[in-house]
Amino acid sequence: MAHFLVILLDDKRFSAIKGTEIEEKVSNLFGGALKAINVEVPEDAEKKIMETFTSARIDSRGAITDVPIAFTRAIFEEIAAQKSIGAEIFENVFSKIEEIKEAAAKESSCLPPPDIDISDIEELQKHPYQGE
Amino acid sequence: MGVFIEKPLPHGGRLVERVVRDPELGKKMAKMAKAVYDIKPTLHYETGVPVRNVYREIMSICYGFFSPVEGSMTKAELERVLKERRLLNEWVFPYPMLFDISEEDYASLGVELGDRVLLRLKGKPFAIIDVEEIYRIDPADVATRTFGTPEDNPEVVQQAFDKKHPGWVIYRSMNPVILAGKYTIINEPKLRPPFDRFWYPPRKAREEHVKRGWRTVINHQTRNVPHVGHEMLMKNAAYTGDIEPCHGIQVNAIIGVKRRGDYPDEAIVEGHEMVHLAGYIKPERHLVTICLWDMRYGNPIESLLHGIIRQNMGCTHHMFGRDHAAVGEYYDMYATQILWSKGIPSFGFPKSVNEVPYGLQIKAQNMAEFWYCPHCNEIAYSGCCNHTKEKQKFSGSFVRGMVAEGVFPPKVIFRPEVYKVIVKWWNKFEYPFCNEHYVQEKEEKLEIELPDMEI
Ligand SMILES: [Zn+2]
Repeated sequence: MAHFLVILLDDKRFSAIKGTEIEEKVSNLFGGALKAINVEVPEDAEKKIMETFTSARIDSRGAITDVPIAFTRAIFEEIAAQKSIGAEIFENVFSKIEEIKEAAAKESSCLPPPDIDISDIEELQKHPYQGE
Repeated sequence: MGVFIEKPLPHGGRLVERVVRDPELGKKMAKMAKAVYDIKPTLHYETGVPVRNVYREIMSICYGFFSPVEGSMTKAELERVLKERRLLNEWVFPYPMLFDISEEDYASLGVELGDRVLLRLKGKPFAIIDVEEIYRIDPADVATRTFGTPEDNPEVVQQAFDKKHPGWVIYRSMNPVILAGKYTIINEPKLRPPFDRFWYPPRKAREEHVKRGWRTVINHQTRNVPHVGHEMLMKNAAYTGDIEPCHGIQVNAIIGVKRRGDYPDEAIVEGHEMVHLAGYIKPERHLVTICLWDMRYGNPIESLLHGIIRQNMGCTHHMFGRDHAAVGEYYDMYATQILWSKGIPSFGFPKSVNEVPYGLQIKAQNMAEFWYCPHCNEIAYSGCCNHTKEKQKFSGSFVRGMVAEGVFPPKVIFRPEVYKVIVKWWNKFEYPFCNEHYVQEKEEKLEIELPDMEI
């Protein structure tokens, strides 16, 4: 059986593929609180992944794990753009692999933070219960 | 037996407090010093990376977290601690506390017995040590005996300690010359924000408990931003108490040298604070505190120190999970729970730490794990939920992977407000975990600021 990549979907990611055929492939984790798609990886793409990212490994479920976050992010972006989880996704992502490798090299020291609004907690922190 | 549990006395009977609050008196005491020594971080004996800073031990000793210890141990005391986990005054104590310097520094300091040495931190006067004894150690020997061996401690030690263990590395990396003697902080420091509002040294913690009307207080040890599994552990463990559940839930975060991949200390303390700011535990029942210590990851040995710190802070109970303060598989995963329930004879405890003479009074609440169960539709206690096939564990690597990917975690894993605290510090440090830059900067800035003091 072919191996697969697990792409986690939060609400933002899920809304990008909602209503497309991919939605049927979405599985539920933590009682539906977290969603994921298992993207089947064609054999030649798997070979390339393993060659490009030495940290990558295949776990007991058959999932390819420990790939750089930049790579997983690029895969998701491609899925959202193409509305597909077919083999062409990997071809497109591998066409810009140099860029991804560059971002991956920086991952041990730098990761772009998610773009979310945290003003609600900053407001809460203005009135701490502890301290003077 | 009474109905109510009483607040335990400090370990050793009274709190050690060795901080001079009057700057004039501090100056006077510092002037009597024969030599001046600039505190340096302990560097990894092979890689040169900082693994410890003795200033944290001086802080924890002088503010009473480690009562009844008052300073750097003499040779006889070190031997007793390594053999029996006891001080010369009989009280149980787990770890060597040593002020170590290199042969070169010893030669240039020129100190003798009875001398006072002024210790500077970041170039400023900080503390003094009154030298009672000068001796040498073999750091590798101290390291190995501190944690035990499979031969000498077969009950719980499964594997010989080596350089993959960060606590063993701390002792292995120490300098060979030990100055033994009492410490006194002569220039009172201020904790840097955000640590200042979590700074509750034992006397202040005890006063705070009384002010809040807490008779019983259970402590939660942490080195993590709390996920919902941690929160459930705290809340459920707190149902123990006396005739009522514990009045207070105290979180005590161990703040010290970081390893790459840990969460930043700022996110840890503010993440715990967010649990009450966002209302998941009432703020009046929840107190977030810190203790400065470069964690040794000594599982049962570390649990003794944790018990001592929190008893000194006035807690009546302490939660212990599986693999408490553990790394790797050096110890049996239940070693801490074994120590607190029936003892570990080879470490000097034929009975529970609570039942030996000069032992601890704080009570252990040994807990199993929590997981998410879709069938129970809750964060379930492993002792209750029997849906072993459906359960989903809070695997640390899964949670960290999800965070790194920037995926907004589901509510059953992280409270959204707590996750946003991670993002707040991620924005600042450009990384959700401790990277090399963070580790370096932290060891330069440390957690305190010292006022100027001319001597
Ligand atoms: Zn269940």
